[in-house]
Amino acid sequence: MSTDDLERDLTRRTENSPRELLIRSFFLLCAVLTVATTLGIILLLTTEAAKFFDSTAGLVGFEGTTTSAIDFLTGTKWRMHDGQFGVLPFVTGTLMITIGSAIIALPLGVATAIYLSEYASPRARSVLKPALEVLAGVPTVVYGFFAVVYITPALATFIPGIGTFNMLSASIVVGIMIIPMVASISEDAMSAVPDELRQAGYGMGATKFDVSTGIVIPAALSGIFSSFILALSRAIGETMAVTIAAGSRTQFLNPLDPRSYLESVQPMTAGMVELLKGDVTGGGLAYRSLFAIGLTLFVITLVMNIISDLIAQHYREEY
Amino acid sequence: MATERDTPTAAGERVIESFGRVSRTADRVFRALLLVATLLGIVALAILLVYVANDAIRPLTADPAWHLTFFLTLVVPTIAVGGYLYRFDAESFQFGTITVGMLAVSSMFAAGAAMIFVDIVAPVVWFAFVLAFGTAFAGIVTLSRFSHRIPFLARFLASGAFLVGSVLFVPDAVQSLPVYPSDWVMLTASLALPLAVVVGRYVAADTGWRGTVLAAGIGLGVVVLATNIGPLVGITPVPALVMTVMSVVPTGGYVAGRVRRHPELRPGLALAAAVLGGALVGAAAVDALGFAGPQAWVDWQFLTSAHNNTAAEAGLYPAIGGSILLMVTVAAISFPVGVGAAVYLEEYAPNNRLTRTIDVNISNLAGVPSVVYGLLGLGVFTRYLGQPRGTVLVGGATLALLILPIVIISAREALRGVPDEMRQASYGMGATRWQTVRNVVLPEAFPAILTGTILALGRAIGETAPLLMIGAPSVLYALPTDFSSKTGAMPLQVYAWASNYATPEFHNKAVPAGVVVLLVVLLSMNSIAIVLRNKYQRDH
Repeated sequence: MSTDDLERDLTRRTENSPRELLIRSFFLLCAVLTVATTLGIILLLTTEAAKFFDSTAGLVGFEGTTTSAIDFLTGTKWRMHDGQFGVLPFVTGTLMITIGSAIIALPLGVATAIYLSEYASPRARSVLKPALEVLAGVPTVVYGFFAVVYITPALATFIPGIGTFNMLSASIVVGIMIIPMVASISEDAMSAVPDELRQAGYGMGATKFDVSTGIVIPAALSGIFSSFILALSRAIGETMAVTIAAGSRTQFLNPLDPRSYLESVQPMTAGMVELLKGDVTGGGLAYRSLFAIGLTLFVITLVMNIISDLIAQHYREEY
Repeated sequence: MATERDTPTAAGERVIESFGRVSRTADRVFRALLLVATLLGIVALAILLVYVANDAIRPLTADPAWHLTFFLTLVVPTIAVGGYLYRFDAESFQFGTITVGMLAVSSMFAAGAAMIFVDIVAPVVWFAFVLAFGTAFAGIVTLSRFSHRIPFLARFLASGAFLVGSVLFVPDAVQSLPVYPSDWVMLTASLALPLAVVVGRYVAADTGWRGTVLAAGIGLGVVVLATNIGPLVGITPVPALVMTVMSVVPTGGYVAGRVRRHPELRPGLALAAAVLGGALVGAAAVDALGFAGPQAWVDWQFLTSAHNNTAAEAGLYPAIGGSILLMVTVAAISFPVGVGAAVYLEEYAPNNRLTRTIDVNISNLAGVPSVVYGLLGLGVFTRYLGQPRGTVLVGGATLALLILPIVIISAREALRGVPDEMRQASYGMGATRWQTVRNVVLPEAFPAILTGTILALGRAIGETAPLLMIGAPSVLYALPTDFSSKTGAMPLQVYAWASNYATPEFHNKAVPAGVVVLLVVLLSMNSIAIVLRNKYQRDH
């Protein structure tokens, strides 16, 4: 704080000169642009989605074909030509991809984090960390292609009856994609656990296994949870891999039934890409339904990010 | 540690010993499990990459003699020289690897730049704009040299007017000239000359202006020579010039500069010679003996032709051009805005509610799915601002908004790494906040900012969903010609092949080839970033 005061004192004389004011306002403008982006997203999604529902279309002065918000939120069928707009098939699709990728990425990510923070030598870390970054850096469209062309045929030899487009291979690639996110945030949380706690454990005669599972993980739990939520929100927003790998059938399936994962199901993001193939230029119903689904997606991911932030802040152990 | 024997009785000793064994075994099993889990994702991806590379390059279709020739001329000498250096002279080894890597990566990007000058921007347009900015810059510098009495605002407005005026009038004036010099002469003046000066300055920074001029002159000479030799071996002057300027000159300058300052690194050049010489000798030998190379799908034809309904004829050329233009737009928007926002938050922002709002907002924006940014682009740029769908400008602006949070976060981290003492020293000398930022903070943080920006650009180059949303055509038959024409992109083209043309033909030929090109571009960008980061971390 005192250095800030010092800097303020030293620059007080000059800080209101035209040049400094001009430059400061340019920088402020850049920073405010990010807020404008958020406001733009929220305003655009809400007004366009409002035009999609009976009850809200009047509020934004829109007249045209609309649908009921209740039907949208509870309907189990999405058939544009019949006027059936139920978002639930998309939501279950998204839920399936979330569950499927979580089963793969959460254990592997946490294990990776423990290995990196507790076991790995500096040399191993310097190799493993860039390798993990590559995992996150491969474009998602490439992952989608991998799923269709290499993973699905490989799975078909074990699981007969698996479709060309299926949730299982989509979940696998999305899972691989989000491992680095779980690993790096969890590892940060684990590295923040003070060494004294570990040394106390070793002093009691504990092995690294005991220290990792008994001391480090409990102490870093809030960070680990927040990494889970962030990674899952990434999986929910993931588009191209799922669009390519999971096909284009909107089905309402039970996400807890393992057999559902052998079928082609469209999550929200893939549904949006599919909708684009319809008429979106004229601002018709397809265009507005795009924004209704987009709003649903945005709200879900935003809430998850906020929860993750809250967990990280409120349950952080202060050392 | 659990096995320290401090119990006097034999029975107790045995109990503790067995406890120790159990927990040691558990520990070992746990460690092995963790290692397996860590490697699982990486190995899975590695296997997939091998598969896709095999499908795209098909090394097994080559004549075994072809492999043998290259093994003898390229692999064996490289391993021998590299192994020796790695063992006995690690610094030189590193120098050699960086030289080879720099040549490879810069050739790739130079090829992209050559493509721009051949097919998108006519050299005369480039020349005109360089001239315009040059005049404006000269004018502004003159103004600031000779007029300390004029108040700042007047000078600022005059500079602005100067810039706008020359950008508005000079290019048109130049292009309306009845005759202008040939393309390569204009490019030599507007592209080769500035770059040669920069490189010359790096090579001979410590010898004053005479050395710089000499080095720049040599660089320029090489460029002119290559441009005139190019046509003799079938390369037209413009690509020959651009390739030399952007690949040979910088690499040569790097080598000359390093070797001048550190003569002990000279053995590293043996590695570069082994790789380059081996490749050339191998190619010549294979050509002379008539051994057939692999029938790869990634070949000259794939890189230089447009989409075709026959998988074997399909190419990526328009998509590569689109990606290059998109990257230029994204970088031009997101770099200044991102760094500006980061500077505001780190250097200027008071601790008030607005600052905290911006702070929270940025971290939330980083988590917004990319399709939603696509919707933003679709709604705001095309529907409300009336831009045509799928243009370079709309696509670039959308992608720029998408990576802006990443650029800001990494730039803030870079600025935070600048020690406070440096700022205070600058303030103590009477510098204003802006002078401190410009002369002390930004130069110090620049490599780290650059690293973050390159990584963020890598993210943008692989994005598909936002481009689909704003209506960029997934199949494009011609290069985009300017910023307001429709653009394709490499990942979009790959998506189109993988989904719209989902035949085994496309899945086995065009898509793997496209994926390999995309990944090579991405990985080389990442490797530039990693090399920069390592260098930067070592310096501190």
